[in-house]
Amino acid sequence: MVATFLSNWSLASRQPIDKWSASTVVLCCFLLGPVAALLLTAFGDSGGLWAHLVDTVLGTYVVNTLALMGGVGVVAVLFGVSAAWVISRYDFTGRNILEWMLLLPAAIPAYIIAYCYTDFFEYAGPLQTALRTAFGWQTPRDYYFPEIRSLGGAMLVMASVLYPYIYMVTRIAFRLTPASLFEIALVHNKSQFWHVGLPLARPAIVAGLALVMMEVVSDFGTVEYFAVPTITLGIFNVWLGMNNLVAAAQISSVGFLFILGLLGLELYARSRQQYVSTSRTQNSPAALPTTPVGTLVCWLVCLVPLLFGFFIPLGVLLRFVLRGDLAADFLAIQPIVTNSVIVAIAAAILIMLIASVIVLTAAFRAGPKLRKLALMSSTGYAFPGTILAIGVLIYAGYIDHGLRFLSGGMISSFLIASMGLLLLAYVVRFQAVGYGAMLSGVRRLPKNLMSASRVLGHGYVASLRQVILPLLKSSFLAGLMLVFVDIMKELPMTLLLRPFDFETLATYTYQFAKDEMLEQAALPALMIVLTGLIPVILMSAMLRRYR
Amino acid sequence: MRVTGIENGLRNSLKNSPVILRWLMAGCVAVCLWLPVQAFAAGTINIYSHRQQILIQPFLDEFTKTTGIQTKVVYASKGLAQRLQAEGAASPADVILTVDIARLAEYANLDLLAPVESAVLTANIPAHLRASDNRWFGLSERARIVVTARDRVPADAIQRIEDLADAEWQQRICTRPGSHVYNRALMASMIAAHGAEAAQSWAEKLVANLARKPQGNDRAQAKAIFQGICDVAIMNSYYYGNMKFNDDAEQRSWADAIRLVFTNQADRGNHINISGGGVAKHSRNKQQAVAFLEFLTGEVAQQLYGTVNYEYPVNPAVAPPAELASWGPFKRDKLPIERLAELAPQAQMIIDRVGW
Repeated sequence: MVATFLSNWSLASRQPIDKWSASTVVLCCFLLGPVAALLLTAFGDSGGLWAHLVDTVLGTYVVNTLALMGGVGVVAVLFGVSAAWVISRYDFTGRNILEWMLLLPAAIPAYIIAYCYTDFFEYAGPLQTALRTAFGWQTPRDYYFPEIRSLGGAMLVMASVLYPYIYMVTRIAFRLTPASLFEIALVHNKSQFWHVGLPLARPAIVAGLALVMMEVVSDFGTVEYFAVPTITLGIFNVWLGMNNLVAAAQISSVGFLFILGLLGLELYARSRQQYVSTSRTQNSPAALPTTPVGTLVCWLVCLVPLLFGFFIPLGVLLRFVLRGDLAADFLAIQPIVTNSVIVAIAAAILIMLIASVIVLTAAFRAGPKLRKLALMSSTGYAFPGTILAIGVLIYAGYIDHGLRFLSGGMISSFLIASMGLLLLAYVVRFQAVGYGAMLSGVRRLPKNLMSASRVLGHGYVASLRQVILPLLKSSFLAGLMLVFVDIMKELPMTLLLRPFDFETLATYTYQFAKDEMLEQAALPALMIVLTGLIPVILMSAMLRRYR
Repeated sequence: MRVTGIENGLRNSLKNSPVILRWLMAGCVAVCLWLPVQAFAAGTINIYSHRQQILIQPFLDEFTKTTGIQTKVVYASKGLAQRLQAEGAASPADVILTVDIARLAEYANLDLLAPVESAVLTANIPAHLRASDNRWFGLSERARIVVTARDRVPADAIQRIEDLADAEWQQRICTRPGSHVYNRALMASMIAAHGAEAAQSWAEKLVANLARKPQGNDRAQAKAIFQGICDVAIMNSYYYGNMKFNDDAEQRSWADAIRLVFTNQADRGNHINISGGGVAKHSRNKQQAVAFLEFLTGEVAQQLYGTVNYEYPVNPAVAPPAELASWGPFKRDKLPIERLAELAPQAQMIIDRVGW
């Protein structure tokens, strides 16, 4: 697929090759390597397994996956959009604090929240115990309580930590909607939300939703723990249960094509975003004052997602942490915290530099084909982490083999068994996040800025450095922090690709959480959340600059 | 208030951002230079482990103390075989440790293990618990047993694993999902004993008897019995020891609520699985790698399996520790353990069909 794409691209361009475009093409293709390796694997012989899958479990997998996507999508949009609306349109006490607090759930990994929720909602958990004490019930047969380890539970849990993706972009879209349009609605006695805010924010909502959907499709930890048979769970059953990596790669690839469809959706949404973007002559709408009842409603709208996405899991973790010997436990994991932070910072910087080069070249130097290639280079996000890690392994194996051959055996291993392997995997997976952040920054720039600078006699690089890059600082930092948080949370690829004796907070948490030893897992999990909070707070401080 | 402070600081630093960017890039270069961590050191063996580091650390410490050989570990639950395969001849791995025969067989099928000729290993491990071509070796035994509610199920109500299909247990059984590797191996042992058709019919009835959707790990099933959600569960024997001696009082009460039942004592014996290991095909330290496997089958390590994680020794010359012995002697299914791996794909298909 990539090859056809490339040949079309080179046929179409008759101009002399531009070195920026050329290096971006090389970079994108390099990043697509692991995906290509997986697609190649999928062309192997799956031994007729599909007939069995279609006869038995495939239907369940697909239905569950679609239901999960639908459920998470609805709840996440409900949480994200309603919170974004009250935060950006109403002026009420506590709004400044809630505005950044609403981003906090982004720092909590979905697999941690699943453990916490089970602990909180199950029969022996604090909620049901309190209910039993209050009403004098004795056994589980005395009352009905919804099962948290279910499709519905998975929807709630995932939506609670994923809604910030939607909240973040939607809030900006609401804020950038010109005040005059809201005034028109007011004059015509129409709803400001349904007739102006929502339609104009739709592309932003869809863009956030696409990221949420990719997370849902590729999630393994939560659905395994909640025993919801989705496609991703099926991939692992086929791979590990039937020793059939080929069939697993085939199912992954079908899922991947599905995600490509979603990306098309995102592209469509973003292409319509043009008219939402600010023309700076328009004023942003002033926030509306609220009555006491109105304030209460605003608080409710903001606190419900926060309760599910942050306070309940944080409370559960704290309860475990405070039971142990905090000082000693912390000393023990301190080197692991350092490991995690160093790796996450290094990888985040690398990813943002790569994403910047790709986005800037695609925006200012290249045609639509390179833009599509750039978008494709961020599709690694759509594979389940472990499966993508296997793609990275196969790919790195090829590269090392090639290097060994070219160097006549001088280089025995370059990527294999080094930290480079892990960095490569992070770049392939999280390039999407950096790409999205930079792209939204570039989209906000006036279209003719680069041309103006070039006409005034600056070269491309000088224009970038003196005009464009200073305007993209905040996008760069926002992307940096998002990627940092994502890497701090990342589990499956780190687990499989790390060097010897190398622990991050996520892998350290996992070895306890895997056996449901929540007491020991709680402190490292809490550290993931706390280190994730710092960038979330910084980021929200920065996002206020768009007010 | 604090947020405003951070925000101001951030704004100021943004004004000087080229400096930040320069630092970021310098840091990035520094990290890249630090990157290629070469993992080949003499006197050190590198281990790929499917078992958590916390569980194998006591063995490693003991091994280093005895032999002076250092150890390094990568732990991951899945995909290590693919990692080893991609690394090929450049792989730094010397020893593979896994927790299930199916994983061991995967390494063997991908031709990632070196045959090992060791009189010590052959003497310490019964033939049905190691590969016929000496590529992998069982290191500890784990019995997959039935547990029942001490206060609700009579002691001899269940004798055979087949009994779980009886209508008597309708709405009373809990298990983890069927496609978990432990249940898949159990299913494979049923196929080996009765053939695919009878095994599937057993599984159908078992699923019909479930009190709730299969979920959680084995420990969660004991918890469910304690809570009264179900009366019977399938569990690996070592979970019982782990709960019984847990720091957490809650888990100790789960252990108190259950009774252990070794199944099929009058016929083929209780289904068992192994944790095991082998030497990586491209290991540069084969001698030391073999020494490590030999150490793991010796007296000290075999005892450790019992005390660290309540698993049974494979070495017939080593008696299990007192706690394990107190659970009673039992007859083991002597099916060559390789059969479980061979039948695993078929077992997974049955699991898919019956929706376990």
